[in-house]
Amino acid sequence: MAARPGLLRATTQISSRYPRLCMSSIRSSSISSKNSTCSNSSSSHHRAVAGRTFCTTTPNRKPASPSASSTADPSDNNATGNATGRTTHFGFEDGLSESEKTERVAGVFHSVAESYDRMNDLMSFGWHRVWKDHFVSSLNPGHSSSNPPAPQRILDVAGGTGDIAFRMLRHAHVLNRNPSVHVTISDINPSMLAVGKQRSASLPASQQASLSFLEADATSLPPGAIASNSLDLYTVAFGIRNFANIPAALAEARRVLKPGGVFACLEFSKVVAGAPLFDAIYKRWSFGAIPLIGQLVAGDRDSYQYLVESIERFPSQEEFRGLIEDAGFVVGGRGYENLTGGVAAIHKGMKPL
Amino acid sequence: MAPSRAFTWLATLRRAQLVPSRASMVARSYHSYDHPPPSGTFNPAEQAILSAAYKHVPEHGFTQHALSLGAREAGYLDISTNLLPEGPFSLIRYHLVTQREALAPRRETIFGTPDQASLSVPAKVERLAWERLLANQHVNHRWQEALAVMAQPSYVPSSLRELALLADEIYHLAGDTSVDPTWYTKRGGLSAVYASSELFMTNDYSPGHTETRAFLQRRLDEGSRLGSAVSGLAQWVGFTASAGVNVLRSKGVRI
Repeated sequence: MAARPGLLRATTQISSRYPRLCMSSIRSSSISSKNSTCSNSSSSHHRAVAGRTFCTTTPNRKPASPSASSTADPSDNNATGNATGRTTHFGFEDGLSESEKTERVAGVFHSVAESYDRMNDLMSFGWHRVWKDHFVSSLNPGHSSSNPPAPQRILDVAGGTGDIAFRMLRHAHVLNRNPSVHVTISDINPSMLAVGKQRSASLPASQQASLSFLEADATSLPPGAIASNSLDLYTVAFGIRNFANIPAALAEARRVLKPGGVFACLEFSKVVAGAPLFDAIYKRWSFGAIPLIGQLVAGDRDSYQYLVESIERFPSQEEFRGLIEDAGFVVGGRGYENLTGGVAAIHKGMKPL
Repeated sequence: MAPSRAFTWLATLRRAQLVPSRASMVARSYHSYDHPPPSGTFNPAEQAILSAAYKHVPEHGFTQHALSLGAREAGYLDISTNLLPEGPFSLIRYHLVTQREALAPRRETIFGTPDQASLSVPAKVERLAWERLLANQHVNHRWQEALAVMAQPSYVPSSLRELALLADEIYHLAGDTSVDPTWYTKRGGLSAVYASSELFMTNDYSPGHTETRAFLQRRLDEGSRLGSAVSGLAQWVGFTASAGVNVLRSKGVRI
């Protein structure tokens, strides 16, 4: 792994915060001029792969023009080894391999882990707490019709700092009086997990005993740690848009859930069509203010620029519901619930019997 | 570039075609002979959980507990009740939908005899509304809770839609074919009468709920009397106005 020069180069670029100049030029330049403007600094990121339109992961098709493929450095292609043969995107950049996206997302969250909570409060005026509280109480973990209550196993994916997991534990143990609820926090990023571990020290001892941590990639959970058909509830809050391959993560969720188990996702989404003024204000806030706040508070503009771009690129409510259904889940009613006029949305799906 | 873009465009198109069919499932608020209503408000998994949970309503009410019991009975997990986006309200809606849909097959038995079949439309409406109220009997002691849930602001629109659908169903089954503005006043009036009778019934302990039936008949009578009074007034106003115009014309006013 370490012998692969392309990967190494990507990592060093992450640690030195990938070049600003390049990112901004990408945003202003058209897809066709992408290679010429950026080839000097990070050619490995912007290899000439066919321009992708709005799609999370697309099978690597043959590029339309032969000239486009010839501009790519062949040694670079071999180095990063487009092993899965698929490309994805990072913010508004297209044509990254999935491993590259994983690396770069890791870089973003390494650099924001410390200031994550403070930033969330500033960006959403504290409203993300209301969303998370609503998300957990609507799921009602630990509720059981039997006496003694039935045990439940919950996996919180991309839940490094424990925001959702701690709420789940409290809801199950205190409100529903069900001490046999176990929550596993899984995250690909050790920095975020470290923050969560540190914060979990202030929980009551009984809740700490029902909590475990797992460093794993959500698109391929280790079968040793999470067996198939073993979970009651799989949650992912503000994480799924960072996954390199969302359909693979959904398929993995379906594998680990018991029949009747529930997949629940809280994620930024699209503002409802009936509120153009609100949408304009929201867009102005996210593209104008959030990177600035990131620069001032966390000292990291690029990570927050990525954040707002990835929100913009995430599929709409209906499209994401389609992805969930395609993964083999059953959705009830409309299949999603909009929060704050569609700024965020809760999607739920059940694995059929 | 071209094939991938075309692919995503096609995928979007496919989704776009799916969306309206979902929307029309809930938007229909009238009867159509040419386009039969899309059947199945609930998908099979929802149906399984709700029908099992519905049996627990008389004992446990329209609650999350009844839902969980139903889910377990249907072979699902406690957590599977998350499939139902509205929680306990889904159970209430299940009651409203199934009881409304059960009216149509029962019409044959109610109006089977010739003397029943020759009843006037208002009499048939009264008979059907009473039949629908009787379907609340087995959950009557839980119905105040249900009404409280239905009155929660987020559930008011779907509750009112269900009420409108019921009023329309009753008038449709009674054989009403009006296509004038009374289409609205009839259904609006029946909705108000039915909702108040339902509320009255929750406090009615008379044998066979005879008090409720008397209440229902009084309200419907008032409705028809009000209707005839309004139409009488309208006739009088129209006659007087045209007479006034004619008097003025006879005096040489150019109208």
